[in-house]
Amino acid sequence: MPCLQASSPGSMPYQHHGRGVGCAAEAGAAVGASAGTGTRCGAHDGEVPAEAARHHEHAAPGPGRCCSAVVQRVAAPAEAVWSVVRRFDQPQAYKRFVRSCALLAGDGGVGTLREVRVVSGLPAASSRERLEVLDDESHVLSFRVVGGEHRLQNYLSVTTVHPSPAAPDAATVVVESYVVDVPPGNTPEDTRVFVDTIVKCNLQSLATTAEKLALAAV
Amino acid sequence: MSMAQVCCDSAVAATAAPVVGAEAEARARARAERRSRAGESGAWKHAVAAGTADATRKRSLGAGELLVARKHGAASVAGRRREMEDAVSVRDAFCAEGTADGGRRDFYGVFDGHGCSHVAEACRDRMHELVAEELAATAADSSVSAAAAWTVAMERSFARMDAEVTSAGGRAAAARSSTCRCDAHRCDHVGSTAVVAVVEEHSVIVANCGDSRAVLCRGDGAPPLPLSSDHKPDRPDELERIESAGGRVIFWEGARVLGVLAMSRAVGDGYLKPYVSSVPEVTVTDRSDGDECLILGSDGLWDVVSNEAACEVARACLRRGRAKWCAEAAALLTKLALARRSSDNVSVVVIDLRRRNH
Repeated sequence: MPCLQASSPGSMPYQHHGRGVGCAAEAGAAVGASAGTGTRCGAHDGEVPAEAARHHEHAAPGPGRCCSAVVQRVAAPAEAVWSVVRRFDQPQAYKRFVRSCALLAGDGGVGTLREVRVVSGLPAASSRERLEVLDDESHVLSFRVVGGEHRLQNYLSVTTVHPSPAAPDAATVVVESYVVDVPPGNTPEDTRVFVDTIVKCNLQSLATTAEKLALAAV
Repeated sequence: MSMAQVCCDSAVAATAAPVVGAEAEARARARAERRSRAGESGAWKHAVAAGTADATRKRSLGAGELLVARKHGAASVAGRRREMEDAVSVRDAFCAEGTADGGRRDFYGVFDGHGCSHVAEACRDRMHELVAEELAATAADSSVSAAAAWTVAMERSFARMDAEVTSAGGRAAAARSSTCRCDAHRCDHVGSTAVVAVVEEHSVIVANCGDSRAVLCRGDGAPPLPLSSDHKPDRPDELERIESAGGRVIFWEGARVLGVLAMSRAVGDGYLKPYVSSVPEVTVTDRSDGDECLILGSDGLWDVVSNEAACEVARACLRRGRAKWCAEAAALLTKLALARRSSDNVSVVVIDLRRRNH
């Protein structure tokens, strides 16, 4: 499990910045069935900021798959935010639900394999994850879940960090999108509610962490 | 089963070490014997035998330790999970003011933490103080019935406890635990159940939030009486409350709020508010002459031991006629839960309710 990503229904009162938008299962299935797996998924158009959109494009998920994107605004410069996001070897620096993280291969660069052990109370025990992309120029990080004790199969995540158009030096927009199999017995909506809840919690924690970091640097 | 009679009086019991089975019990017995030889428990026993008690005496139960007295016993083990995130609180005569007839009030609590241990530890350290404060405040208002007054006091206590663990001030408790791994301001994914009982001369008051449980063993072969109802997300009224608030209950290895948490009420868990509420359900139950004991336990016990089986175990210990039967019952119940492959921490408190014991 990707540090237990989860999705959320509607608006959460404690949430002021983050929001998620999902792919309608019917639309995704229809597009996939009729046009094949090469078709671009348009589910996030209008929600993912234009400057980040190209990094979050993917093929329309076919039957049995779903996708979502969560957007979080952070009141800190992009470099401060990216410095936290890019540490694939230190997910506990900003992610919730991490009890420990051990590197199984690599030292933080592309190809690094980590084993994340998860805190109690959640429907997962561990997640084994491989770093697929780490682009310090474009501020893009992508990882794939390749094992562990959880129900999220074939999870692929992309996180991007961009200066906010409104206040480029002081605010940042973080987008995390993912594609994942829908577990047996659940619906795409169930899966998005679960994963978006975890992703939102993590991105809100990222905002708090990066804002503190930026304050400390002043 | 041979059990030393002990008194554990550490202000903050360590819960760092994982505790499993016979080894933990052997260590607990060794500690108990050392304390007994030091005379500490002797003095304490004398106080009880003389019919007096230190009104502010506090006991908190560490992992694997056994706490026994004529009145109650408790046991707590990590079980198959590596971390101990349960906490138990026993506070004799915890209120400066007793009941209207001058009787004493004793406080008992079981707190089953998740995500980390510090919320359960904060509940262990503070909940009885908050309840005492709210009882004093409520006592000043004579316009409400006893049951309503208890509900108000408990709801306020739980709300304050929840506020403490979600604010920076709540960090104090976490700072005391070497097992707490959380960074300040990043703990809103941590929470705890809380099942709390106040035993008075004529009543037992229970306030519950989460899926720990309180069960009353009445005598004469009567069936056990649950004094709390588990807050599972698929309990029909809880499901309705969650969905009315805009949340969802998803079946993801059991029914879970947003697919994440397997209980619908808890202290803490700020990220799941308002779906996961900290409002307790409160019951006020009159005591009967035939009552035998009250059992508080975490779901590590109740998931694998029915109310009926738990009362049978307690009754069997009672019939052996030993003074420390409550501690024996608590220890035996934890062993039974482990033997039945409970996958969670197990915490149990057994309180003697027999009249002649007062």
